[in-house]
Amino acid sequence: MASAAKRLEAVSGTAAPQIAFESVTLQLGGKTIIENLSLGVRAGEFLCIVGASGCGKTTALRLAAGLYQPTSGKVNFDSQPMREPRREIAIVFQDYGKALLPWRTAAGNVSLALEAGGMPSAERPARIEELLRTVGLPGHAGKYPSEMSGGMQQRLQIARCLAQEPKTLLMDEPFGALDAMTRQGLQDEVLSLVAASGATVIFVTHDLDEAIYLGDRVIGLLPHPGRIGIELAVNLPRPRDQLSTREHPEFLRLRRQLFDFIKATEQ
Amino acid sequence: MNRAVILWRVASFAVAACFIALWQLIANLKLVSPVFLPGPDRAWAALVRGFSSGDLWSKLAGTLEHMAYGWLAASIAGIAIGAIIGSSRTMRTYVAPSLEFLRPLPVSAIIPVAIAMLGLTQAMALFVISFGAIWPIMLATIHGFAAVEPRLYEVARSLQMSRLAVIFKIALPSASPDILAGMRLSLTVALILSVVCEILAGLDGLGHWVLLSARAFRSADLFAGVILLGVTGYVTSVAMSLAENKLLAWQAAQR
Repeated sequence: MASAAKRLEAVSGTAAPQIAFESVTLQLGGKTIIENLSLGVRAGEFLCIVGASGCGKTTALRLAAGLYQPTSGKVNFDSQPMREPRREIAIVFQDYGKALLPWRTAAGNVSLALEAGGMPSAERPARIEELLRTVGLPGHAGKYPSEMSGGMQQRLQIARCLAQEPKTLLMDEPFGALDAMTRQGLQDEVLSLVAASGATVIFVTHDLDEAIYLGDRVIGLLPHPGRIGIELAVNLPRPRDQLSTREHPEFLRLRRQLFDFIKATEQ
Repeated sequence: MNRAVILWRVASFAVAACFIALWQLIANLKLVSPVFLPGPDRAWAALVRGFSSGDLWSKLAGTLEHMAYGWLAASIAGIAIGAIIGSSRTMRTYVAPSLEFLRPLPVSAIIPVAIAMLGLTQAMALFVISFGAIWPIMLATIHGFAAVEPRLYEVARSLQMSRLAVIFKIALPSASPDILAGMRLSLTVALILSVVCEILAGLDGLGHWVLLSARAFRSADLFAGVILLGVTGYVTSVAMSLAENKLLAWQAAQR
């Protein structure tokens, strides 16, 4: 219920943004990757970022994570400037195979986040079991990542991120490398996990349908340098459903609008 | 174990038995003077005699001690220095050329220097052995630390892990396959240098035993010492492989 209230607050726009980009410009190696980007993400909001490849969507996410510092402008988190990554901001990387520790089992990988958070070792096993159950991996605690499928590895990475008890979840094309069926299953799971935790989400994807299906708001970036080209509020009812949501006239209208935008940027 | 593996193993034992038989034949026919070449029977008898009198035990213990101390010192220093150099790009750029100069330097050239500075002492042996054994470990550690997946460092940053936690939970385990391979190479180097130091400095050990036996024309004792050295090398490397398999069980899962 609390999360529903939060979400309502987010959509109605009364709360101060949890993450705020203020005229952010980022140059890397003499090239301007992102120019004058201003953007506010309210607590509990699910924001999707789409755009052609090379438009700086991953870079924007890394700025929000504190992995990059802006060349000019500011990135604020809870009205505090972001100087370095923080534990309440978790990142789900696309390349789950590289982001997991191959020498630790599933339980060990989740444990890494709990250890970093200073949880006493006696309390960890119960929490690890609970987290693995949450992401649909009960009974896989003793497996190494290399013994798991791509979808399971990505679930494991999500479990580790949830172990951080994040206020914000940053997801960088998390399902880009997965097959369509696994992808749809994980979309719904992420939606219910986020609804349960009330976390703010910034979700980067190149899949326009996925962006509309998941988001409260979709932002399309223009490339060279990256800046906002389109901003769409997604007023589709929740909980969303793989069939009825995707057949909803509003979904189709937004989809057409977003496809036209992407087509125009590619010319 | 399948049949083919068993057959290969039987075949390799048969080859070894053939070599021993050939050795016995050459000794029996006196193709080489018995003063220089004992048969396997006499070498075995010398081994049994040496162990029952306790002489060989103490020599073996001496060599193992030199080897172990030198190797452990080399491992600790090699991993520590390698970690410092490997985790920093600047350090790699500045230090690598000096390493490239020092690494191919034959350790035997260091021995006279070490004797001049430290005398014919255990300290000299420790220095020489660890100096020779440190290179494979240090270079493997540098490589292992430099090759840590950058994504894992980002995970560590987002978890706000301490520097120490990053080293012990991410960099060291990630580099462990390289480090252990380096340590296995160093084990052989440590054994070789232990024997050399014992021969040159007259320190108690199998090297000294072999030298004295040769000088006294006790060829059976000489061969007993050589056989024992071979066994030492074999057993330590097998033990190292077992330890590697156990520590790197996660890699077996990866394949």
